[in-house]
Amino acid sequence: MMFAVSELKEGLELPRLTKPVSQENINRYAEVSRDFNPIHIDADYAGKTPLGGTIAHGMLVLAYVSQMMTDAFGRHWVTGGELTVRFKAPARPGDTLTVGGQICRVHSSDDREQVTCEVFCINQNGETVLTGDTSVRFRKNENSR
Amino acid sequence: MGIGSSAYLFGMERIEYSQLNQGYEFPRTVYRIDSTMVADYLGVIGETNTAYRDTGLVPPMAVAALAMAQLSGNLSFPAGAIHVSQTFQFHRLASIQDSFTSCARVSRKHGRGKLRLMTIAIDVYNQKKGRVVSGETTFLLPASD
Repeated sequence: MMFAVSELKEGLELPRLTKPVSQENINRYAEVSRDFNPIHIDADYAGKTPLGGTIAHGMLVLAYVSQMMTDAFGRHWVTGGELTVRFKAPARPGDTLTVGGQICRVHSSDDREQVTCEVFCINQNGETVLTGDTSVRFRKNENSR
Repeated sequence: MGIGSSAYLFGMERIEYSQLNQGYEFPRTVYRIDSTMVADYLGVIGETNTAYRDTGLVPPMAVAALAMAQLSGNLSFPAGAIHVSQTFQFHRLASIQDSFTSCARVSRKHGRGKLRLMTIAIDVYNQKKGRVVSGETTFLLPASD
């Protein structure tokens, strides 16, 4: 689902994603990102830390936010997107994450639009894993697709 | 989220947190992301957007993730360190033809009570010296004294 420029307005919800978190997926992310910090992949190590067990990479959760933004805004996100997020709680194996957001501002200039969104990630208990803001710029006369 | 581990080695001599002062520049790292790595990354994330299908494009978050992993591989943080916030800006398309150079420096380091905050600025350039991704990552660390 990608938005057309004519659809962009404050309050418009971004296409939500639901993502199960598993240790297998965390391990696979460690491989592709080359981030082998044991807090993510070593249950014995992680169990002795204050976190009490392994957690997903923050960058993995952020990748889900980026996926949602790509779904909504296509290449405009890839070439001119910005994001600012705060990690509030860890995502753990067994969690089911929901990533969502909405457009909170559409700013127009003569030939460009800038869309600012509030984004979030919550777990299956409604606990906030991540909150933040994103923005995308594109020309008025082109579709967001 | 959690990142601290003094036993976590990446093959390079790691830099202790106490040695990192504002303005410190990390050794530059150069890397490539080929089509197999892109496919693996997309598979792990569950990203199916056509923007990346047979286009030779590299997801900007994959570029960012590898820069972050190389950075954390150079760091030795005390146990209890937490990745608390992250910003990214995507400046231009990244391609499997590109060679990426990641530059990182300590942009801020300050205390808050018994905790320390450190922000590291990252810029990733392509082989034409065009900036592809930039961002700031902030860690919260327990005071060492």
